[in-house]
Amino acid sequence: MEHLQIISEPFRDLGRALCIVTGASKGFGRTLSLQLSLLMKPGSVLILVARSIDPLESLKVEIEAVTGTWRKLEVRCVQADLQETEGVERSVQEVKEAMSGDIEHLLLINNAGSLGDISRSALSFSDPDEVNRYLALNVSSALSLTAGVFSVDRRRLSLRRTVVNISSLCARRPFKSWTLYCAGKAARDMMFSVLAQEEPEMRVLNYAPGPLDTDMQLQARSLSADLNLRRSFSSMFSSGKLLTCQESGAKLMKLLLEDQFNSGAHLDYYDL
Amino acid sequence: MDRNFGKALVIITGASRGFGRSLAISVAPLLSAGSVMVLAARSGDRLEELQRELNVTGKTNLTVRCAAVDLGCKAGVERVVAETRSSDPEIDRLMLFHNAGDVSRYCRDFTDLDELNSYMSLNVSSALCLTAGVLQAVPGRTGLKRIIVNISSLCAVRPFPTWVQYCRPLDTDMQLEARSNSADDNIRNTCSLLHANGQLLTCEQSISKLLAVLLDDKYTSGDHLDYYDL
Repeated sequence: MEHLQIISEPFRDLGRALCIVTGASKGFGRTLSLQLSLLMKPGSVLILVARSIDPLESLKVEIEAVTGTWRKLEVRCVQADLQETEGVERSVQEVKEAMSGDIEHLLLINNAGSLGDISRSALSFSDPDEVNRYLALNVSSALSLTAGVFSVDRRRLSLRRTVVNISSLCARRPFKSWTLYCAGKAARDMMFSVLAQEEPEMRVLNYAPGPLDTDMQLQARSLSADLNLRRSFSSMFSSGKLLTCQESGAKLMKLLLEDQFNSGAHLDYYDL
Repeated sequence: MDRNFGKALVIITGASRGFGRSLAISVAPLLSAGSVMVLAARSGDRLEELQRELNVTGKTNLTVRCAAVDLGCKAGVERVVAETRSSDPEIDRLMLFHNAGDVSRYCRDFTDLDELNSYMSLNVSSALCLTAGVLQAVPGRTGLKRIIVNISSLCAVRPFPTWVQYCRPLDTDMQLEARSNSADDNIRNTCSLLHANGQLLTCEQSISKLLAVLLDDKYTSGDHLDYYDL
């Protein structure tokens, strides 16, 4: 009766992977890059994308020091502004160049994002140029990048494909003075949920990391127009209730290794 | 429940066809003398035709203004806000119906960032910017009710590449588009079947529920209400 006892085991690693992380220069993206680098088999490639090349180069050095040469991890830095078509295209091009028949797993982490101007109310957003710029970076580029990345080696059935959308509680609930961020996160979640429905072979995850101790959080607690929100974040900060990127990143790594999540699901740090 | 909307400034986007057009025709008889209706769409010809129809059948004291604009462009949004600014300040109600929209395509094809941005600009940004602009142009004051209606969809709440299996869509050009051009075979087939079996909703059916909700005015602000909930 051994066949009845087959329990699917979590992966011990992410395989020989080609992994792309956007917004990799600081905060959550930086931590994820480090954590991922330790979970990829020799012969893997890690592509780091951000607007500033210097922090990416420093990160590359740090990753190489941590993983060591025996791990044979190739780290590539791509300076790209994802708000621009050219930035998305450059990132996709890097994936095309790095891809080979040896790669078993293509993994994209859509992490790059911004808060938008949270010091203003919804009714102040009368300028389409401003709103369009925000949506271009936070919504369109994630979709466009995902479409471009996964067009590479489209027909290879044996290639594992995983895409993560770094989401937020804001995707599900409205928060005063956070019009753009909430709208953008809601749109992203829905886009990736539709993708999950269309591509049953792909693994799609909307991961809400919880309130992280990053520069974005600093903006949130100092600039939010809504007083209650500012107070609430400041109090989390001063009482040590903010999460470290490491803690939240570790949960994401566990989700990816176990690979049991329902494709298209929205999972929050606090659910797990 | 109110019997009509009183003296109102009503703005309807995507007013040239389908749901928007039907909405304009259904709302007009519910407006008191001195009301203004601003109709926005890309097709100036169709808007003028609608304007003529409203002037013939409706009250003579209803002013209908046409704004032939592309709401995907900043200038389009600004023009509609300008029309709003030049209206009579003595209104009881301001009603903005965000109806203009576009049918989307299959996820796999979205490598073109410009196309995506253009889609967002019309379907997302314009609704926010128009709301902000219009409400800045017509500030709140006692005695004035300001109402914003976002023409939403089950698709806002659930991910469905095959959404039509779960609701009866409206019989409009958007439906026609969905059943002819949709990349997903299921969507096309289901839409065609619904159409063939007469199971599509008419705009009038859907609008009559919308207007009842608005006249009753008991909904919670920010709610998502579906035809089938009512």
